[in-house]
Amino acid sequence: MTTGIALLSAGFGVPSLRVGVEEIAAAWGGGGRGQVAVCDADEDSLTLAWQAASDALVAAGIDAGALSGLWWGTARPPMAEGPSHAFLATALGLEPETGGALFSGSPHAGMEALVAAWDAIAAGHASVALVVASDALLPGIGTATETECGAGAAALVLSASTAAAAPARLVARATVSMPVIDRYRGDRQEATAEVYDGRLFREEVFLPLLTQVGENLKEAAPAAGVASVARWAASDPDGKLGSGLVRRLGGELSSATVRSALGDTGCAAPLLGLVAALESASSGDPGSASTNDPPASDESDSSPLGVGLIGYGGGRASAVAVEVTGPVPGTYGFGEKLALGRRVGYVESLNVRGQLQPMTDPIPMGVPPGSAAFVRGNVEMLRLEGAKCSACGTVSVPPSIHPTCTGCGGTELKVVALARSGRVQTFVVNQTMPAPFQAPLPLVVIDLDDGARLMLQGSPADSEQLSIDTPVELKLRRYAVERGVPVYGYKAFATSSRSTSGPGDLSASDQGSGATVNGSARRSGKLGATAK
Amino acid sequence: MSWNRVAVVGAGLIKFGELFEQSYEQMASGAFEAAVASVDKGFEPSAVEAAIVATQRGTLWGQEGIGGNTVPTALGLAGIPCTRVENACPSGSDAFRIGAMAVASGVHDVVLVIGVEKMRDKSSQEGLLARAAAGHPLYNRGETAPVLFAPYATRHMHEFGTTPEMLASVAVKNHHNGCLDPYAHFQNEITIEQVLASPPVCRPLRLLDCCPQTDGAAAMILTTPDRAALYTDKPVFVAGFGVATDHPYLHEKTSFVGLPATVAAAGRAFDMAGLGPADMDMAEVHDCFTITEILDVEDLGFFDKGKGGPATLEGETALDGRIPVNPSGGLLAKGHPIGATGVAQLTECYWQLREEAGDRQVAIRSGNALQHNVGGRGSGVSVVNILTRNP
Repeated sequence: MTTGIALLSAGFGVPSLRVGVEEIAAAWGGGGRGQVAVCDADEDSLTLAWQAASDALVAAGIDAGALSGLWWGTARPPMAEGPSHAFLATALGLEPETGGALFSGSPHAGMEALVAAWDAIAAGHASVALVVASDALLPGIGTATETECGAGAAALVLSASTAAAAPARLVARATVSMPVIDRYRGDRQEATAEVYDGRLFREEVFLPLLTQVGENLKEAAPAAGVASVARWAASDPDGKLGSGLVRRLGGELSSATVRSALGDTGCAAPLLGLVAALESASSGDPGSASTNDPPASDESDSSPLGVGLIGYGGGRASAVAVEVTGPVPGTYGFGEKLALGRRVGYVESLNVRGQLQPMTDPIPMGVPPGSAAFVRGNVEMLRLEGAKCSACGTVSVPPSIHPTCTGCGGTELKVVALARSGRVQTFVVNQTMPAPFQAPLPLVVIDLDDGARLMLQGSPADSEQLSIDTPVELKLRRYAVERGVPVYGYKAFATSSRSTSGPGDLSASDQGSGATVNGSARRSGKLGATAK
Repeated sequence: MSWNRVAVVGAGLIKFGELFEQSYEQMASGAFEAAVASVDKGFEPSAVEAAIVATQRGTLWGQEGIGGNTVPTALGLAGIPCTRVENACPSGSDAFRIGAMAVASGVHDVVLVIGVEKMRDKSSQEGLLARAAAGHPLYNRGETAPVLFAPYATRHMHEFGTTPEMLASVAVKNHHNGCLDPYAHFQNEITIEQVLASPPVCRPLRLLDCCPQTDGAAAMILTTPDRAALYTDKPVFVAGFGVATDHPYLHEKTSFVGLPATVAAAGRAFDMAGLGPADMDMAEVHDCFTITEILDVEDLGFFDKGKGGPATLEGETALDGRIPVNPSGGLLAKGHPIGATGVAQLTECYWQLREEAGDRQVAIRSGNALQHNVGGRGSGVSVVNILTRNP
């Protein structure tokens, strides 16, 4: 029997860019309304997942070292066969011995990750689980999917705790499967295309399957303590299917705001819809300063709210009922973030998605990603580590190339995780860069809050506002795709004030929290000569 | 007393520029011929006993595997001992120092020091790109040459009020001097307004704040002071030299308004020469970017820290100024064929001290000239050589 699982916190990752549906369609002689979200050139499914997961951990007040594992669902892992899970887990600061899994193969993978984490906790194999669902869908150029596919990520921290204090619990689930082809990407294809007739899919696949699984969930919910499921957070490939579903099931479509702001977020859709529902459920005074502390509710909710997640992909539909009894940390500010994002044109969106590239020969990186230098360097780059001198306190970065302290020449060095925020000591903005680099390209020398000094790439969107002493925070981004392999590292983003203005030219680079992620427990084992 | 254990008896170079029609070997040969022809009493090429070659960017610029043998065989000196030196932008000046030590050691009596650099066999974009993609995958990715200095400009402006006009005045001065140097890559006058209006490269540096990518070669002939009289009655002596190193990453710097490698190298050179900044009649310094010259003249002790900008703007480093800097036109106008640069700067010092610099001759009162380069990752290598005509 399944037992209820506590939901401790949530987090979200929203891409930086937006494209108008009308602009996309106009390139092919059509029309349309609305917008979709597009990852910037240095964002992808993994960086969005990192953002969502980092924020969820901070909101839960949990150190990554305490996690039992990472359960990650994405229809497009950045490496189709490769260390996607290991990279994300390392970047989040999970211990190397932790578990979890990567689920892929369709937009249903987010629900699979959620249910699998639930199963692991219920079986006693995990006590605290991090669930992430993310996607940056790549539509076929000139296909209908181009006006639908978006990007986004959501994360949840689940726990075995049965304490009544948990603000929400997963209480019931249902699933159904039918062998049909709808959205499809073959093993050798680059982009996703729709292989189905839209009306066939709607009438014969999506509505029947999801209605069935939604009804099954509604039947199971009361026995689990949820009188009714009032809100639905659903997959919504074309932006109309979700409302059609909710007309059959009754209740409200809480994922509508997500769909209209971001487009189809694939695996993330149901979980992002949940975040939207959780934020609106904790209504109250919006004057709270931190995005991680929801405002005190001035309603006393006597009955729990029931939210139903329904995800669809690859012929499978799954639903999970969430009982909400209080504000869930990490959800506040989600609606505000949805409203941000920098508008770009169709051509720029193709460029940043890698579908329109200059036909010049890129010069390769000094060392290829498969080299021993990366084996030595991956952990220290993904976890952002330095070597702190026991004698003088100077932090030398990165550890593997510093056998001696840059301050005093000492050899008693200890590997430490670095702070994730600081101030600009000095900087430069490259305004002329040859491909594959793109100008403007800021490089920022940062004095981190823990006293370490570091130079990292900055955000092009910050080029005009950077100056000495600007406060910055560090976020994981994709530095390069080198010989087909992504290379991830931290970049510096100006910490701007929260704004409530609408979409336009405000950068979404201030998404998520500015708080530091605690990379606590140090790795044991060999780290080279620098670890003492 | 200055060290003075080595004498320079010949110096020559080829015109710097985009020398598409000349191969690396042809450029080397041209510089050698010029140096040989410059020797007052004549010089037999076969008198060269050993050579030190400075070529910095062999692999990135398409010259694979430049070793010690490429140059001697091109000069008709196959068989002689030869070593290629690479020490970033100071490669040429370091080759000179090593050649001087070879003579002073007594192992070789006549040493050829020759710098050769072919930068334009690849497109200038490729050259820039290779620099940006080399190095650590994250911690200096995108670090082109101007990125090494632009953050110093930003910080220097912040701490001392240095202005873009002060930076521009370096370029204006050096372009003016370059017009008087027949070997310079660029021989055109420019104005401060033109510098400030040139395309932005790397804030706050603009195109005319940056040196060009240049092909070039320069050569000098060194011997002992005793043997110098065989070749010339006006030798120039090596009074002293210094080399210093500093950390290669910008994030390892503790100050962004000066270059510790320059300060240390200069200190060692002055000590060895028994001289100080006030004893110099002129200086050829590393002006890869306008800000770099301002840092240099402060780090070398010619002006107090922070005063380099106003001093340049007010003409104190002009040909007729208190301390003429870069009478040759500097890297900005003469060009920066990396391995050849230091050697070319030394040829300028040689001609100036012999009062053969024509229209760009500066007043020689003390008889001493300073030559300086700084460069490499994090501007972490500097070499200073001091020449004197006083025996």
